[in-house]
Amino acid sequence: MIFCDVLCVRTVQQKTVIIRNRLGLHARAAARLVRLASGFESQIELSRTDARQSPVDAKSIFGVLLLAAAQHTEIEIRASGGDEVEAVAALAGLIDDRLGEA
Amino acid sequence: MCLPTDEVPGEIARFRHAVRIAQQQIEEVRKRMRAALGEEQSYILEPHLLMLQDRSLGRQIEQFINDNRANAEWAVREVASRFISAYTQIADSYLRERSNDVEDVARRLISILSGTKVRDLNHLASDAIIVAEDLLPSVAAELDPKRILGFITTAGGSTSHTAIIARSLGIPAVVGVRELSGSIRSGETIIIDGSTGVVILRPSPETLLFYNEQRLREQEQKLHFLDERELPAVTSDGEVVALRANIELLEEIDAIHRSNAAGVGLYRSEYLYAQSAFGLPTEDDQYKVYRMLAEMSGEDGAVIRTFDLGGDKLHLSGFKAEPNPALGLRAIRLSMQIEEVFRTQLRAILRAAEHGRLKIVLPLITNLDELRTAKRIIAEVEREMRAKGIKHAEDIEIGVMVEVPSAVLQAEAIAREADFLSLGTNDLTQYMLAVDRTNESVSHLFDPLHPAVLRAIKFAADAARRARIAITVCGEMASNPVQVVVLLGLGLRDLSMTPNAIPAIKRVIRAIDLATAEKIAARALALTTPAEVNHYVREQVGAHWAHFLHTGLSHESMADLNFQR
Repeated sequence: MIFCDVLCVRTVQQKTVIIRNRLGLHARAAARLVRLASGFESQIELSRTDARQSPVDAKSIFGVLLLAAAQHTEIEIRASGGDEVEAVAALAGLIDDRLGEA
Repeated sequence: MCLPTDEVPGEIARFRHAVRIAQQQIEEVRKRMRAALGEEQSYILEPHLLMLQDRSLGRQIEQFINDNRANAEWAVREVASRFISAYTQIADSYLRERSNDVEDVARRLISILSGTKVRDLNHLASDAIIVAEDLLPSVAAELDPKRILGFITTAGGSTSHTAIIARSLGIPAVVGVRELSGSIRSGETIIIDGSTGVVILRPSPETLLFYNEQRLREQEQKLHFLDERELPAVTSDGEVVALRANIELLEEIDAIHRSNAAGVGLYRSEYLYAQSAFGLPTEDDQYKVYRMLAEMSGEDGAVIRTFDLGGDKLHLSGFKAEPNPALGLRAIRLSMQIEEVFRTQLRAILRAAEHGRLKIVLPLITNLDELRTAKRIIAEVEREMRAKGIKHAEDIEIGVMVEVPSAVLQAEAIAREADFLSLGTNDLTQYMLAVDRTNESVSHLFDPLHPAVLRAIKFAADAARRARIAITVCGEMASNPVQVVVLLGLGLRDLSMTPNAIPAIKRVIRAIDLATAEKIAARALALTTPAEVNHYVREQVGAHWAHFLHTGLSHESMADLNFQR
């Protein structure tokens, strides 16, 4: 994923969060996240801070599942493209909120 | 093989059209699932839908069509295989299984593209039971519970989700019945009991009647069980009985709460192996599952049975087929042989036990040396973990499955060295009576009410009581209302069963009194033939508590029990 934060005068918003729900980013949680991300204009990518996997598109279920983020995994959210502030806040909120699960 | 260049745009359009159709189909199924089951369960198909909408999938498929001038079917197959192989790299077994979802989506797209109409299973004659090699989760989800009475699959594969969907739709299903499909012809009468995993071919009229009545009764009872969830399992004369859950799949953990079970009496860990298409689960995979088990089972805790592999259950590759698998290299014997696998499992359990009350039970113990060796290995594993500073639980309780005659006869000695006993009545009956209950020529001889089996059970129960340790029944006897009366009478107070059976068994316990159950059991022990015991127990139960005795499944009709999961 390429961000055009050099060429375009766009800001990149980023935040690091920890997956807290017990099952991690499994199918249902990943689906919630993808649905939420897809509602934003910005490009959004997620990466594991332990760099075990290259960044993935937060709007792609395939990508998010490939992160294989179990409970306690640290994830960096990066977004750019107009509504990046809202996008990052919303995604971080969802993850902090245990993706709506236990 | 290649398409003419000018047909490429048409092929891409065809692919996009197929995606739209597939989306509509899945939306439709989901709508039905949501209506029938609520929001909670319909999530199972959410990944399918998102995959269809996923730009990376669409882009790659269209690019493949373009680059290779391939037809859409080929492109879908190729790209799906790429995604699937990427998933198989994932360390987490749960996520790894999402490759099944990709396969499901790919097959749906291909069948739309190639116009091979997936036969709409709901258009089968009503009251149908489907026997299939495998049923994809999204196909299972489309089944109409009003028309499809149940299904049987002979293969694994996407089994776990398919089974959950079936359960949530209330469609009885038995999955992974390997030797079945060849022996069934279309149009034959067949009975399946999803709660016990029993499949009966060509049932006698009597058996058919019994199961039909049972079905009606269950439908009625379901309405009341919800209100009874909170009631304690206590006999009318005040004896408390612990009702625990037998669990195979992690996804079933919810059922502990739904049925208000006293924790997990038996977790069959070998299903971790059965579910995984990728061989033995790693320590971390196991740790995650066991930890969840520890956290979800609460105060009452969970008993993990170490891998019960080999024999008639599951085969590990690299071990040759045995002429006599029930008496061969299986369960604890196999674990001792591949000790590293055993140690890996123990490490995972000990780490997870930090997070709740976990216990270990060892399958197929036939002599004390096996118990001592296992305990020594567990102590060693603990020592290693201590030395390495790995957090783990100390002094985990170690129990023994009593399921062969030698363990029964040595129950006293075993009880002195084990922390608890678990009575596996299925295997115990099988080994006591030398009957393979999956062998239809002899399965009529399989009878847990055989006087010898009852004596064995009493012997083990007495040994546990004298040693002041717990003993749990975790075979199918624990979920059979009539047999439960006998178990209580023999002194058992701790039963573990499929969670679905808990409401019904709780009812039985609340309906009966211990004093009468003890009289029935004492007399049954004195009888000399299985037929006498069956007749007597049924008669007594009918006379004392007619309201829960169903028109008896007579001893003879047990002969119909051909296949057992």
